[in-house]
Amino acid sequence: MKFCVCIKQVPDVSAPIQIRGGELVMDAGRAVLNAYDASAVEEALVLTAAHGGEVDVLLIGPEKAAETVRKALAMGAARGTHLVVADDAELDSGAVSALLARHLDGHAYDVIATGKQAQDTDAGLAGSMLAERLGLPYATNAVGLAAEDGTLVVTRQGDAGQEIIALPTPCLVTCSNDMNDPRIPNLKGIMAAKKKTIDTQPVADLPAASVRVLRYEPVPSREPGQKLDGEPTEQAAAVVRKLHDASVL
Amino acid sequence: MPTILSYVAVSGGKPTRASFEVLTRCRQIAEAQGWDLAAVVLAPDAETFAEAAGRYGAATVYAVSSPDFDHALNPPVLAALTTVIELAQPAVVAFPSSEGVKDVLGALAVRTGGAALADVAEFDVSDGAVEALRPVMAAKFMARTRAEAGDGSPVLVSVRSGSYTDEEAPVQPTVETVVFESDASTVRQTLREVVAAAGGAVDLSDARVVVAAGRGVKDDEGKRLVEELAEVTGAAIGASRAVVESGMFPATAQIGQTGKVVSPDVYFAVGVSGAIQHVAGMTNSRIIVAINSNPDAPIFDVATYGIVGDLYKVLPPLIEELKKANAA
Repeated sequence: MKFCVCIKQVPDVSAPIQIRGGELVMDAGRAVLNAYDASAVEEALVLTAAHGGEVDVLLIGPEKAAETVRKALAMGAARGTHLVVADDAELDSGAVSALLARHLDGHAYDVIATGKQAQDTDAGLAGSMLAERLGLPYATNAVGLAAEDGTLVVTRQGDAGQEIIALPTPCLVTCSNDMNDPRIPNLKGIMAAKKKTIDTQPVADLPAASVRVLRYEPVPSREPGQKLDGEPTEQAAAVVRKLHDASVL
Repeated sequence: MPTILSYVAVSGGKPTRASFEVLTRCRQIAEAQGWDLAAVVLAPDAETFAEAAGRYGAATVYAVSSPDFDHALNPPVLAALTTVIELAQPAVVAFPSSEGVKDVLGALAVRTGGAALADVAEFDVSDGAVEALRPVMAAKFMARTRAEAGDGSPVLVSVRSGSYTDEEAPVQPTVETVVFESDASTVRQTLREVVAAAGGAVDLSDARVVVAAGRGVKDDEGKRLVEELAEVTGAAIGASRAVVESGMFPATAQIGQTGKVVSPDVYFAVGVSGAIQHVAGMTNSRIIVAINSNPDAPIFDVATYGIVGDLYKVLPPLIEELKKANAA
């Protein structure tokens, strides 16, 4: 199976981030491969190792994001494509999916995979938008993938349980990070990645974005609560009394 | 006059509470803007839910009935919603956020030429655009976001549960029965199996009481206590990522930013440390009761009532007290 995994470089959300004047201020040096995309890369590598084929990766991002393409190559992807946009490019999910579709149109991939959402925007829209633009059958929120002859079998986490869906290839799938533990590139992989080519293509005409962030705000905090003292029996009685007074039980 | 269209999700044969929260918010916006309010229901027997949608103010209910909506594939859902959007010509379509909605929102935005805002905590309409507040950066911050669709295309919004309170405002709705036949040639995928979650009988997303287990629940005895507390309070059982990964609780029980978002009246956090991603999935709970042996656990920052103690010592008397209260 031939996979193309769409990946994104995102800020490391575990790093300190502050708001100043409605803007996020963070250490630009701390950027990582989106965790959900890393799971998609990992799963594609596992499937191609078992069934043959190879994995390409495709990224839209500023010049700095080339390091994230390189990381996916070090994990084991064969080729990388980097669609280069300006640092301050205004891209929403619609514009990202339009750019990806423009690039992928005419490529013969069996499976296009991506993370179910990006850790920075948490929108989770680009995957199904891309499937629609390319006219591909798709499934989202995959927690397991298996390959059969001409079919990708997706286990997805749905509302009422896990749904097992068979998609004929070519198809698209978005992956949850509950699927696997992505490999950490080893020295051999890192050395091999240096020899792999990244097809770098500047993007001249950005598709228009219909969604704009006006400003960032802190998460509203809840009213401070109270700790209940005493022995467990006293604490239990106090909680039940309070819940009873609030008429919630 | 523009229309705001509210999607009523049906789960286990009844409309979800989150649907009525969203419908209530849509009614407030319709009243403020002087817009029409409509609802859409996709179900094997969609007309039967028209009265419920009218109870929350929907003047028109688009009912699309098909056995296709009894299962989980996205092509018929996309086709039916596209048909309804063409009929109703809404300026805004609002959905209660769920895995089923997340599955189609992006594709529907492309198909209808619209814009989409996913998982918002609040939204409003101003100058023909939708403004919303969305949790971003692993729920560490909120982004005030504005979406504008092209002429004649809708803005689609999915809303996190518990963001609004459901309030009835009954009207007698006009029911528009939408004839829908799924085109098998466009489905191109097969649902092989649904592995239903083994767990509580109560739907987590819609539950009024939730008991959530975290890393402090270490063994079968701890799990038994959690199940007993859920039983005595009529609660649904949820879990933190840690105890889902350890295999103690099913993945469908996972609460958090990437799991389910819940908004019960009472949330018992049992041995849950309160990582920011978990809190993002339950911060809309009305009352949070946290039980944790670590006094510095971040869960106490959001708890209404905190008990610093060993859950194995705290839960038995709590269960007994609740039994007494039930019997009173």
